[in-house]
Amino acid sequence: MTDKSVNTPISLASVRQILKKRAFSTPTDSVLTFVVFGALAWLAWSLFDWAILRAVWSAENVAQCGKETSAGACWAVIDARHRLILFGLYPFDQHWRSTLAAVAIVATVVLSCIPLMWTAKRIITLWILGFTTYYLLMEGSLLGLQQVTTDGWGGLSLTLFLFSSVVLLGMPIGLGLALMRRSEMPFVRGFAVILIDFVRSLPLLVTLFTAAVVIPIILPSWLEGDKIWRVIVAFALFFACYQAEVFRGGFQAIPKGQFEAGAALGLTYWQTLGRIVLPQVFRHALPSTINMVVITFKETALVIIIGFFDIMASAKAAFGTGEWAPHYLEVYVFVAFIYWAFIFSLGQYGEYLKGRMAISER
Amino acid sequence: MIKKMTLSGVAAAALSLLPAIAMAESPTVQQIKERGTLLCSGHNGSYFGFVEVNDKNEWKGLDIDLCRALTTAILGDPDANQIVPLSWAQRFPALQSGDVDLIIKATGWTMGRDTELGLQFSLPYFFGGTQFMAHGELGITEAKDLDGGTICVEAGTTIERIAANYLSTIGVEHTMVSYESAAELRAAYVANRCDAFAGWGPNLAVLRATEIDNPDAHVILSDQLSSEPISAAMRQGDEEFVDVVNWMLAAMLIAEEEGITSANVEEMAANPPNPRVARLLGSEPGMGERLGLRDTWAREMIAAVGNFAEVYDRNLGAESPYNLDRGLNNLWSHGGVLYAPILD
Repeated sequence: MTDKSVNTPISLASVRQILKKRAFSTPTDSVLTFVVFGALAWLAWSLFDWAILRAVWSAENVAQCGKETSAGACWAVIDARHRLILFGLYPFDQHWRSTLAAVAIVATVVLSCIPLMWTAKRIITLWILGFTTYYLLMEGSLLGLQQVTTDGWGGLSLTLFLFSSVVLLGMPIGLGLALMRRSEMPFVRGFAVILIDFVRSLPLLVTLFTAAVVIPIILPSWLEGDKIWRVIVAFALFFACYQAEVFRGGFQAIPKGQFEAGAALGLTYWQTLGRIVLPQVFRHALPSTINMVVITFKETALVIIIGFFDIMASAKAAFGTGEWAPHYLEVYVFVAFIYWAFIFSLGQYGEYLKGRMAISER
Repeated sequence: MIKKMTLSGVAAAALSLLPAIAMAESPTVQQIKERGTLLCSGHNGSYFGFVEVNDKNEWKGLDIDLCRALTTAILGDPDANQIVPLSWAQRFPALQSGDVDLIIKATGWTMGRDTELGLQFSLPYFFGGTQFMAHGELGITEAKDLDGGTICVEAGTTIERIAANYLSTIGVEHTMVSYESAAELRAAYVANRCDAFAGWGPNLAVLRATEIDNPDAHVILSDQLSSEPISAAMRQGDEEFVDVVNWMLAAMLIAEEEGITSANVEEMAANPPNPRVARLLGSEPGMGERLGLRDTWAREMIAAVGNFAEVYDRNLGAESPYNLDRGLNNLWSHGGVLYAPILD
């Protein structure tokens, strides 16, 4: 059984054969198969029954929730509260702006993932455009719309904004720190080593709490800036320090001979780096980088502790009233689905990149 | 002659200073007026009955209504406030750093907060105590019966300490299990992982009423472990602001006592039934000047938000899903412990 069999079209007969061989070869196997698949089928059925068959869908029918359909999901809570979950405290009649802003951010991230955009000029233009669009739409006053200050931002748009600014800001800083850590100048290297180790030995929660709560007490008010920027910078620094270590792993996989060969060819440091070393570093660091990015997406939920109304906070607010308190499970399922959709896409993109890079390995 | 003139001049100057001292405006209030907004504390999510978000993404709740009342008293517009979402851990640093002007966030008045944290507290506007809720099928009515049982609590709260303290005082052997969030705690209790759980009285009643399908399946034990005064918290050093907040609360209580509601306040102000009402509603001048506010602040406030009973009923009482009895939180004349200072 080599690669060949994978590509042959599967016929019904072969399926039967495989099943017989793998699942029903002995009586014990058969029993096990039945038990396991029975349990799985039962689980799937219960889930389907709960989520679809017995569910109450519309907010108008909320009275039926938990009544004759004793075990069904009450999606009425999503129907009534989805705007709170998706937009947080953003003014109700301005939600279209929050929607457009979220679309702008997703588009920016998606476009940044396309190889066509991977030149310095294009990617920087794209990021500036994307984030300016987001800011103009969300804040509004510069477009002549109703002004919404950053503490009115919330929900999915805020989560996406935090995530993308942290990753897009943190990635170059991380690369810079990794390069500094490899530097031959002791001062530069020492600075990077101390910074990376210092930040990595602090929990993210402490970093965020310091940025949001402690800094305003220490700094004079004109230096403070808005809470959201302080938090993004702190979070990005945190991300960068971890990402620098990921890049360092990538650098270490590259034999020293390649630098020497570059130098022997008369290439400058930056040419060697840009044309020979970095492309390989990225390839080696890719799996861990995707990991970091996915973790960061989930960690944005931590900002709830410093009073940001991200999607988790607004989900909690959504079931945090007397009417909807019994239906927290449905709200969590809804939010989990949103997280899953984004993180699964990120993972799939990682797979695509891996495949793309593998071509150059052949 | 010259000397005399100087003396009388000094006297006149001193006299003219006196009313200025009496009306010395609180720096916080001054700041609020300059800014045009009052910065109140919200919640990073919601806290049943006290701070919630409605279907229109707007804040509501008992604490929010008190913030709106204070906004009306100071600025004359119930909506001229900004509710800053804060976590529990963040509320005191946020107050100190000026992110909010005061904390109205179901916050208990404790000695540590009053002294070490450098805060000062208003009159209590709510009393809530720690109680136990147990599964009805256990057939128990008081904490003594919990011997050998498992008690769940929310980690890191005063409730955890109070419950442990109380149970060891009455000599009840128990296992304490703490959970990070109220939702986890609830789920653990409903899943029968603990015999009883300790919580803040209003929360227990709220849960019994809304969370759990059959209210009779759960019993709130008779033991009242504590009764915590819930107050607004302010930064130390601005006594005049404390005065404003205290009289804001007092005015709501006096209004309830006198039967002034948001519906009849204008009528009452036009024909005050007694001098106290006349003074409160600014029909007779003097009320505003002493606090550095407008004479009609209380009238506007009650018109916008209502008296204390209205606010309570709307958010926790009969008109809310919680239907929480007023109990201790009634006026002194109705068997509660809430009372206003004397309006002279």
